[in-house]
Amino acid sequence: MNKIKPFIQMQNVEKFFGQFQALKNINLEVQKGERIVVCGPSGSGKSTLIRCINRLESHNSGHIIIDGTELTDQMENIDAVRSEVGMVFQSFNLFPHMTILKNLMLAQRLVRKTPKEEAKKIAMHYLERVKIPEQADKYPIHLSGGQQQRVAIARALCMKPAVMLFDEPTSALDPEMINEVLEVMTDLAKEGMTMICVTHEMGFARSVADRVIFMDQGEIVEQATPEEFFDSPKSNRLKLFMQQILTH
Amino acid sequence: MEALNGWWDDYFWGSVVVFKIFITSLILMVIFGLIGAMAKLSNNRIAQKLAAAYTVIFRGTPEILVILLLYFGSAITLTAIAQIFNPDIKFLDIPPFWAGTFAISVIVGSYATETFRGAFLGVDPGSVEAARALGLSNFKTFIYVRIPEMWRIALPPFGNHMLSLIKDTALISIIGLNETLYVAKQATSVTSKPFTMYIVVGCIYLAFSTAITLTVMGLEKYANHHLEDA
Amino acid sequence: MNESVSLIFDSVLQMLGGIGMTFQLMFVSGILGLLLAIILLLMRISGKWYLNWPAQAYIYVFRGTPILVQIFIIYYGLPQFEFIRDSIFWPILREGYGCAIVGLILNSGAYVSEILRGGVIGVNPGLGEAGSALGLSARQRFIHITAPIAARLALPAYSNEIISLMKSTALASTITVMDMTGIARTIVAETYAPYEIFISLAIIYMILTFFIQKSFGRIENFLGRYTKQLEI
Repeated sequence: MNKIKPFIQMQNVEKFFGQFQALKNINLEVQKGERIVVCGPSGSGKSTLIRCINRLESHNSGHIIIDGTELTDQMENIDAVRSEVGMVFQSFNLFPHMTILKNLMLAQRLVRKTPKEEAKKIAMHYLERVKIPEQADKYPIHLSGGQQQRVAIARALCMKPAVMLFDEPTSALDPEMINEVLEVMTDLAKEGMTMICVTHEMGFARSVADRVIFMDQGEIVEQATPEEFFDSPKSNRLKLFMQQILTH
Repeated sequence: MEALNGWWDDYFWGSVVVFKIFITSLILMVIFGLIGAMAKLSNNRIAQKLAAAYTVIFRGTPEILVILLLYFGSAITLTAIAQIFNPDIKFLDIPPFWAGTFAISVIVGSYATETFRGAFLGVDPGSVEAARALGLSNFKTFIYVRIPEMWRIALPPFGNHMLSLIKDTALISIIGLNETLYVAKQATSVTSKPFTMYIVVGCIYLAFSTAITLTVMGLEKYANHHLEDA
Repeated sequence: MNESVSLIFDSVLQMLGGIGMTFQLMFVSGILGLLLAIILLLMRISGKWYLNWPAQAYIYVFRGTPILVQIFIIYYGLPQFEFIRDSIFWPILREGYGCAIVGLILNSGAYVSEILRGGVIGVNPGLGEAGSALGLSARQRFIHITAPIAARLALPAYSNEIISLMKSTALASTITVMDMTGIARTIVAETYAPYEIFISLAIIYMILTFFIQKSFGRIENFLGRYTKQLEI
């Protein structure tokens, strides 16, 4: 038995979409408070990897254990696990028919059974954290992409998750809005939130990550501290990928 | 089931009538729809207004009312005209087949107007420009670029119009056309097995609808074959 | 000419006497039809074949046959069976009115269910995922996310379906019901003035259609307020 039990454990995880193997023999441990950045070319399985962690995709073999609970087919309490794992999507996925405030209150009310006033207080607290409390009564369509993504982060935080998953949170944003989202994420990292971020923002990876993981064709090819990762990549695949990213 | 013995011929000929109405009204419906669409797309104000009135009227009026109006209205007009020449004539009507066929074609044609208009406007102007830029004449552009593209857009709603037509044929029985519902009515009065008799009609229509649906699916597959498996 | 005018005036008044019946047919079958549609929809999206298949078969049969045939099967056909005549439903099925309503419910249920399904399919699947990721159960996701958005998406098609239903109520006149069309047919049989009477009635139906469209336009505006950019 390890002395410090990892918060997330993935052992020999494999995932198929029909004939296509999206994940090959994934082994990954994430400790509480760790900040991990996952990168790799499109189709490399990085999104699938984090989607398996809160079971938006179910894996075909291997084990995924979140805080001692294994994710299996016969899970009654998957919703309980999910409410501990916050997730931010590339396309925000705010509920368009609810105001920003309602977006933040919905899961608190339904899943946590938080009383209305309290839920509202928590919602406003996190809206202030992402610096847009004045938008509380607007609908998502009235906000810019960057604002919507900050709301999405606040919405996940309202559930007080133990870990946050980010699935390319800045890829759908116009360039001028990327920084406001990265700033929020950086603040979160500084406060000690456990984070797994799929992103191509290498500056963010360098300054925030404890560990950077490179995936290609469904495999974890390389993982290292940012310094090692960026300054002395080992595999040819990573070197090639870095060149492509930098020449972008 | 033995109650049906002796009635199969009548059902068969009733189905033939249904099929005849369907084909005739399909042709008329396309004509009405195209005229309506052209009028809506034309620059002529009056044509536009008339086409708009056409769609509003037939979308807002029960089908059965249109059939009754066309049949009894035409009958009374015809009788009046005939009596001028021969006062002994008591009643003269347009055959129910034609009154009914005309009525359902006009009704469904008003829906087809919007379909054809949408299909015409839905053609990507870029591909038309590209064809012109390649030196295709207006006519060739129409034949090789516009028509196939319009066809692809219009096909799914057009399939629905065909289903509407086949189902609306049943309404023509109320003005005395000897189609399948009429057969069922006669058979019922003789055998007193109404459920059996009317269920047969239901099955006949289900078979027609299925045939149309399958045909349209086949056509759609053909029309979209260039979009498959990019 | 004056005769015509007074004939039209009198018969319009008589026909409007049947508007209550037309409304009854429309509202009762509209509401119960919607209920049936929702049940069929839930069966179809349940993911269980033994619920999905019967619902699909039902929709296929009722959309594949003319509503007039359905009404005739109910009105003329069902009394063939003694157990129906002995059942508690007999008081409903004995009357043309009851049969018309049952027919309209069964028919519009099938159509509306497909319309609702179209709405559900149109909802961005990412929203369901976002709900999942927040820990909402499948049921909560359907009630709070999918259903309200699907309802708005389905509304334009639903409003057309209600107009269709309104027009279909006229078929009740073929089984002795005295709705507006039933009354009109009686007047025409007496006066032999089809143009005056049927055209006046067509105009009444068109006015009703207009009001249905307007009301649904209002509802759409209200439900769709979150889809509109703020005025700048």
